[in-house]
Amino acid sequence: MTKEITLDAAPDLRRIYATAALRRGNASDALPDVRWSRAGIRVDVDDLVAYAHVCRFPVSGTLPPTYPHLVAFPLQMAVMSGDRFPLPLLGAVHVENRIEALRPVQLDEPLDVSVWAQDLRPHRRGRQVDLVSEVGVRGEVVWRGVSTYLSRGAEHPDAEPSEPPSTDPLAAVTTGPLWRLGEGTGRAYAAVSGDWNPIHVHALTAKPLGFPSAIAHGMYSYARVLAALGPRLPEAGLTSRVWFRKPVRLPSSVRLRTAFEASRTLSVLEHAKGEIEHAVVENTW
Amino acid sequence: MASQSSPRAPRRVAVLGGNRIPFARSNGPYAKASNQDMLTATVDGLVARFGLAGERLGEVVAGAVLKHSRDFNLTRETVLGTRLDPATPAYDVQQACGTGLEAAVLVANKIALGQVDAGVAGGVDSASDAPIAVSEGLRQTLLAVNRARSAGERAKALTGLRPGHLVPAIPENVEPRTGLSMGEHMALTAAQWGITREAQDELAAASHRHLAAAYERGFFDDLVTPYLGVSRDTNLRADSTVEKLSTLKPVFGKGDGATMTAGNSTPLTDGASAVLLASEEWAAEHRLTPLAWFVDAETAAVDYVHGDEGLLMAPAYAVPRLLARNGLSLQDFDFYEIHEAFAATVLTTLKAWEDPDFCRERLGLDAPLGSIDRGRLNVNGSSLAAGHPFAATGGRIVASLAKQLKEAGGGRGLISICAAGGQGVVAILEA
Repeated sequence: MTKEITLDAAPDLRRIYATAALRRGNASDALPDVRWSRAGIRVDVDDLVAYAHVCRFPVSGTLPPTYPHLVAFPLQMAVMSGDRFPLPLLGAVHVENRIEALRPVQLDEPLDVSVWAQDLRPHRRGRQVDLVSEVGVRGEVVWRGVSTYLSRGAEHPDAEPSEPPSTDPLAAVTTGPLWRLGEGTGRAYAAVSGDWNPIHVHALTAKPLGFPSAIAHGMYSYARVLAALGPRLPEAGLTSRVWFRKPVRLPSSVRLRTAFEASRTLSVLEHAKGEIEHAVVENTW
Repeated sequence: MASQSSPRAPRRVAVLGGNRIPFARSNGPYAKASNQDMLTATVDGLVARFGLAGERLGEVVAGAVLKHSRDFNLTRETVLGTRLDPATPAYDVQQACGTGLEAAVLVANKIALGQVDAGVAGGVDSASDAPIAVSEGLRQTLLAVNRARSAGERAKALTGLRPGHLVPAIPENVEPRTGLSMGEHMALTAAQWGITREAQDELAAASHRHLAAAYERGFFDDLVTPYLGVSRDTNLRADSTVEKLSTLKPVFGKGDGATMTAGNSTPLTDGASAVLLASEEWAAEHRLTPLAWFVDAETAAVDYVHGDEGLLMAPAYAVPRLLARNGLSLQDFDFYEIHEAFAATVLTTLKAWEDPDFCRERLGLDAPLGSIDRGRLNVNGSSLAAGHPFAATGGRIVASLAKQLKEAGGGRGLISICAAGGQGVVAILEA
């Protein structure tokens, strides 16, 4: 039976990261059957404005489609730092994300958030798991997110790969927005998201975890893409998926190229010189 | 031989409606919102209200008085962030507090001439998120460093730096040529015209009373969209009275004769507004009913620099020219919207139109324009109550007056807006 844990306040992310290095995960194939929830969360206007400015969303009365992820993120961390969670939190890599924005969410609506883990499965380079977040307003589910995290470990060469859609439609798209992401990009996003994972903060904190420089948060790059597509995406009934490919090493210049179809956009975020693919984003409605 | 094309007759220009966010006193709920944020939310609200998503409009014209240099293309950047067709052209205008109304004049003129069929006129200002520039000394030094071609030249240029250069330049509400703030200018004019403290406080109290009543009867339900948790103008004091206002200390003017207080002057405000204008045909094609017609407009300027005329007196000159061109008298209006930069501005303007000497000597009229029925003045409140985000005031007034005329079942309204630099923009709407 599913165990329900209801929190009155957001878990303290700093404490979670501070103790994360001590948790190694375990070899278990089972996920704890736990659902973490918080009810009646109010979005703080100043927090929203700060987030919107960092990710370049216009500040409106409607939450950016990526914003509920921010609200759910501390609960994700709580799930993944739980004692019986099989994967170690530190070093987990965000490989894929899916968002269903069922209807616009207004800034002043109270949000009920539930998060749980499901579908622990092999990945070519380790094991991966889905963290599902569901956001409701007065009993109506308005937003759903699925974040897929990979924990590198024993390889499974025959694991079912999850490949992004073919980028063939982008062959004719030669240009698009160019962003110069400075060395401090990770800290700026950490400040508005609370995600102070050391791999994003500074080269010195990223190196011990195997990265030669700090890397941009995947959800930052993804948010920038959705902000740039902004008014060309519908406000309701949007399904958005991102496949994170090679991390964006900071500092770096990246370019977004997008193909627009009748009820789909397909984008690739790549190094400005074109030889590294950082993310593929598909929106459908 | 090619025949010469003949000019087309001007078309009627419809005011179809407007949208604004509630105005908020500066450093309040919108303190961290940028001009582009507020204008985008406002235009998108207009798009939602009139079903304009994906629509290519003739143009969007707007501006801001306090503007960051990065916002050189503010209105176009705003359009690209809205649900309008990105193929909608846009440009910025800036005529101080006249910006919003001047933007409407520009769009209306193009519609009248058949150059565009529909457009949005708007304005936005943030007194909170104000641009701060580096000092002139630091700016000159940095430019010299930028021009330098070698490390040696750069080092030499940097020796020009002085500690005092690090003090930033913060925008001031001051006339560059006189060094006086707008309030100080107004205080001089108010004293010259003998405008009393009581009359100013009465006008201010009426503004709050009228705005509160308009909110109560739902007048703003289709004119205002809540923003960042604010649903009414935050400066509004529904319980404001002459008695309460009379307790405030003067902030402009000197000595016993000082009459202007924070209560009868507009506060620094953040906000944005937008108005949808179109030809009759476009309105019919889109099944939209005109609220009013944008009939005509006039702009005037006065030489205030050496004290020949008051800084905010230009509308007093613009209105008689507009009346003459349209064969109207000052009394031929059902509603008057005289922007309340200060209560004293409205009272001075009205007094000047009643004054035979001023009308003869300054306006060149045989007889004074006369007085107006004060019951028709700013009937839904004005800037003293709503606040005054400089460039957003014109759009607020155009949309509100058009709706008021529609509600009244027809009529004629006069708009008068004074602006820094001794300028004034005035216009006539009819329904």
